[in-house]
Amino acid sequence: MKASMFAAMGYSKRTTFPATWPVSPVHADPMTSVQSYREGMDECELAEEVGFDWVSFSEHHYSGRIPTGTPAVMASAVAERCKRIKIALLGHLLPLNNPVRVAEELALLDNLTDGRLVAGFLRGTPNEDQVYTMNPAEGRGRLHEGMDLILKALTEPEPFSWEGRYYQFRTVAVWPRLVQQPLPQVVVGTRSDDTIRYAAEHRLGLGVSFLPVEQTAAITDKYHAWCEEAGWTPGPDDIVYRASIYVAETDELANKWFEGLMKSRPGPNIPLRRTVSEAIESARTGNAFDLRGVVAGSPEGDVVGNSLGINFIGGPDTVASQIKEFHDRCGVGVMDLLIQQNQVDHKAVMKEIELFGKEVIPQIREF
Amino acid sequence: MKFQEKQVEAGGFNVRYWEAGQGRPVVMLDRAGWRETALHDALAEKYQVFALELSGTGDSPANTTSESMTDLAAMATIISAALTSERYTLIGSSFGANVALWQAVQSPEQVEALILISPTSIHPQDVLTATTASDAHLAMFAHVENSGKYPIISPETFAEETELLRRLKFGVHDSEAEARLGDIHCPTLAVFGQADRLVSSQAPRVYREKIPNCNIALVYDAGHCIIGDRPEALLNTVMDYAEHWETFIVGHQSGLINP
Repeated sequence: MKASMFAAMGYSKRTTFPATWPVSPVHADPMTSVQSYREGMDECELAEEVGFDWVSFSEHHYSGRIPTGTPAVMASAVAERCKRIKIALLGHLLPLNNPVRVAEELALLDNLTDGRLVAGFLRGTPNEDQVYTMNPAEGRGRLHEGMDLILKALTEPEPFSWEGRYYQFRTVAVWPRLVQQPLPQVVVGTRSDDTIRYAAEHRLGLGVSFLPVEQTAAITDKYHAWCEEAGWTPGPDDIVYRASIYVAETDELANKWFEGLMKSRPGPNIPLRRTVSEAIESARTGNAFDLRGVVAGSPEGDVVGNSLGINFIGGPDTVASQIKEFHDRCGVGVMDLLIQQNQVDHKAVMKEIELFGKEVIPQIREF
Repeated sequence: MKFQEKQVEAGGFNVRYWEAGQGRPVVMLDRAGWRETALHDALAEKYQVFALELSGTGDSPANTTSESMTDLAAMATIISAALTSERYTLIGSSFGANVALWQAVQSPEQVEALILISPTSIHPQDVLTATTASDAHLAMFAHVENSGKYPIISPETFAEETELLRRLKFGVHDSEAEARLGDIHCPTLAVFGQADRLVSSQAPRVYREKIPNCNIALVYDAGHCIIGDRPEALLNTVMDYAEHWETFIVGHQSGLINP
């Protein structure tokens, strides 16, 4: 099994944010953010040094939690500092982006990294549908068409025009061509049946994030079955699981940290006003939305969202066995780990990366 | 726009055709059954459209004389010249596109612009493997629910057409046509359904590489019968190209919001 570090590049004073989304830019001090990105890149360098195989980046907007709204820019900066590790863009939120621009970014990154790119396509979380004012009802259609267009743009040697449902481009001719031919590894991050099937039918990898093992297995079981239907067997790198982790020298120390975390009652991870949250969900599902009804019937309060759970927690042997469960039950071959928890500062993150590299990576290599 | 069915005799051929509209002439060569489409209507709103029935297709008498695509193209050239003395835009679909390609090679003085919709001259696949009219019909669509928009030809017509298509080597890579692509100097658009199962995805680039002034258009989520799967997208592309030729790549839609 391979290890990947999800480079969140979080703003170092992230625990001071109010529980809203978007987070007002007034909370971003430029000197602090400059320092935070430097620290994040140091974490990537250390991850490479201690044996991680990939470092990954994701598109997230309007908050200091994962402040990489343009992940390709972040990835190219890290790629200059890390010379061996795979640079995994997991990934662009396709419904929000111009697919041709995404193809150009991927092609350029594959060149800048001399063929170390891994590409990932995502629909995005509901709040992010609002970033560029996209209609949530069109998200899935845009994702599927966007994937088709990007794959075509990256592989077609002659200019073409694209007459899509959501995209029309009369001239597409992406430069440079990819270093990895015909394509780099591509991972589709999804929980939805039609998108899992898309990945299987197009012989692409699958990414699953943060779900418990049995729910993840339900998804990977479908993926395996549909890959078989499509006439191929996914390789070990084709299933990527993104998880949140806290590893300490011993189980006792890890549990003590977790108890402290519970006492601090962390706020919701992606809090939205209830009216906005329900409006997005209604648009995504095609159901009617009654604004007055939501306002009148929201005794739980105005803000909704879930705390980000910790998937793996413990000493090195414990987290290795927790990771093994995903390998054995779900066929996960690449474990993409969010080490930079909200309540863990840079120094502690560095310590965790080192510990994981020294004590856990040798164990998961054997899976 | 109501098309009038007419008959024309020229060069020893007697051919049925449908005519509508006013303006610059457009000659269309279609598969049987694809004649009364939204594309025909849209074109007839702006142009004088002549939709020819290719001999041996549809309800026309069996064609026992044409030995090659070039024979059929020569016939189409003669008929087109009899219908209009002006240079015309030539639009062919599927089998009709293969004929149109040869017509453009043979009569560059007549063809002002060429639009090939789902041509199969280059790298066809599985074109003639269907054994029934129904199977052949279904293979044309990316979405089976769209197949009901156009009629399935009768078993007898299917048998006659299949015999003609085999004789004309439809469904076989036309290396002679590929060698002549460089002789097509008029503005040319080749349109393909992105999910066309009858043509290799490698085919479009060959037209682009070898025809000097050629644009390729890929219609997302459309099969071989693009007009069936994505009519609006096909109309948009073909109408723009017929009007603007290679300058159809220049954007004209306003992005202005709330001026």
